[in-house]
Amino acid sequence: MAEINVENLKVVYRGVILALQGVSLRAGRGEAIALLGPNGAGKSTLVRAMAGLLPQYDGRVLDGRIVLNGQEAHHLPALKVASLGLTAILEGRPIFRYLTVLENLRAAGHKLSPQRQKEITEEIFTRFPRLYERRFEQGGYLSGGEQQMLLLGMALLTEPRILVVDEPSLGLSPKLTEEVMQVLDALRRDKDLTLVLVEQNARAAFSIVERVYVMEQGRVVFEGTAQQAQADADVMEFYLGGAVAGGFSEAKRYRRRKRWV
Amino acid sequence: MDFALVLQTVFNGLANGALYAVITAGFVLVYRATSVVNFAIAEFLLIGAYLTYTLSLFLPMLPAIFLALPLAFAFGVLVERGFVRPLLGRNVVAVIMATIGLASALDGAALIVWGPDQKAMGAASIAQLPKEVPNLAFSIGGVFLSSKAVWSLILALPLAILLVVLLKYSRYGVLLRAVSESETAALAMGINAPRVVAVAWGVSAVMATIGGAFLAGAAGGGGPGHHLVLLGLIVFPIAILGGFDSVPGAVVAGLLIGLIEAFSQLYLESLLPGITQAIPFVIVLLVLLVRPYGLFGQHRIERV
Repeated sequence: MAEINVENLKVVYRGVILALQGVSLRAGRGEAIALLGPNGAGKSTLVRAMAGLLPQYDGRVLDGRIVLNGQEAHHLPALKVASLGLTAILEGRPIFRYLTVLENLRAAGHKLSPQRQKEITEEIFTRFPRLYERRFEQGGYLSGGEQQMLLLGMALLTEPRILVVDEPSLGLSPKLTEEVMQVLDALRRDKDLTLVLVEQNARAAFSIVERVYVMEQGRVVFEGTAQQAQADADVMEFYLGGAVAGGFSEAKRYRRRKRWV
Repeated sequence: MDFALVLQTVFNGLANGALYAVITAGFVLVYRATSVVNFAIAEFLLIGAYLTYTLSLFLPMLPAIFLALPLAFAFGVLVERGFVRPLLGRNVVAVIMATIGLASALDGAALIVWGPDQKAMGAASIAQLPKEVPNLAFSIGGVFLSSKAVWSLILALPLAILLVVLLKYSRYGVLLRAVSESETAALAMGINAPRVVAVAWGVSAVMATIGGAFLAGAAGGGGPGHHLVLLGLIVFPIAILGGFDSVPGAVVAGLLIGLIEAFSQLYLESLLPGITQAIPFVIVLLVLLVRPYGLFGQHRIERV
């Protein structure tokens, strides 16, 4: 049974701006999928919809449905969705910047018993020793990579079944991006998470996911395994920055613009 | 300079300041949690004092105050549910305007329910003797402390400090600070932001009620009347002085303004009648010239 099942989802902002024009996707239990696509494709909107956070952005589900773990979730408020086991790490590294690292973790783990909270916090510090060193510092003073690690730690403290991560690589160096991806992969395997990875950096995403969805202008325009995506010339050209065979001498001087829709 | 007199003025100033601190701390708490400037804070004071008064008609003074607190909490939550929550997601200015409207409405409601005349605590009519909390006034070596001052110092001051400590270290305090930064991020982490915000409003109303009850004379010296609204305005200079978003700042600034008022009353009032009412605002102006974030304002963390 699919853990996440999104069917023909349509989302509007402010009652008029159609951000998702009928998106369908599914992810099985413990599967890792990636959601790729350029700016404004609707990836983050899909994340918000899944997390029940659309009302915060003056948006709503117009049509279609989201089924999480067998339960209809598209009309549930954020807190209910969270209790279904879905945790979303939104774009822009939304840590609490004025709270210390420890306080951030405490806030995220507020539902756990003190004992369990302590266990997981220790586990987080073992995984990310850097966070332990900086545990009394305000989140806002951490580096981008550290903030991303902190967010992953916070997500762990919510004990999710489904983890949705929006653009973890944003603003990180290639090396750090690689590191974040490895951490995500390790977490998914250790905790048996269903992972939805939203990325613009397709190359980074390919390394840790099984299946890929490519979005453009509020629609899913490609769906397939990571291998299929990498074999697809169009996807490669538009989302991997054109891995042109034969070097730059044969590269086209113009950019071919493919219209998907 | 008379040492005993100075000492007495210090204590009285701190006592009054503690009441200001309690009220302002509650006001700042709401601002922290929701970015809403509650212009109805003076009316919170008023309603709290009247609630205490009504209960004191049937009960001794101290139980009346303590029973008024849960009612005040409910009142604060009700205001949040009725006026603030429906405006969620709108411009903060819209909510602030709503609180101004609320202030007028509460003013009117208080007039209708309790009438325009000044009350005396626990006394249904002028003929009755007003009730008050047990008299704790004492005098040592020429330093006289009124009952009101003692009660403020043993009740309001610890309460204000307790709020600061809870906000810093308690689970709910951490959650409140988290929500205050970003409701969306808090929701995404499964934090029940609406409840946290409602509790902040409730606590704010409780703090205002304690301050209001004592400012209105629960420890001797009359009862609630509409002058409390004017008294409540002192919250704004104190909050600004403290940095507006800092609860510890509000407490320190409250005590400071209390002290300054007391000394101004002692030394300046005879030279410049009325100066005591103006002096908090003058101080705020001077401090803001030097420290635009107030005494304890949050320094913004920005990554560039």
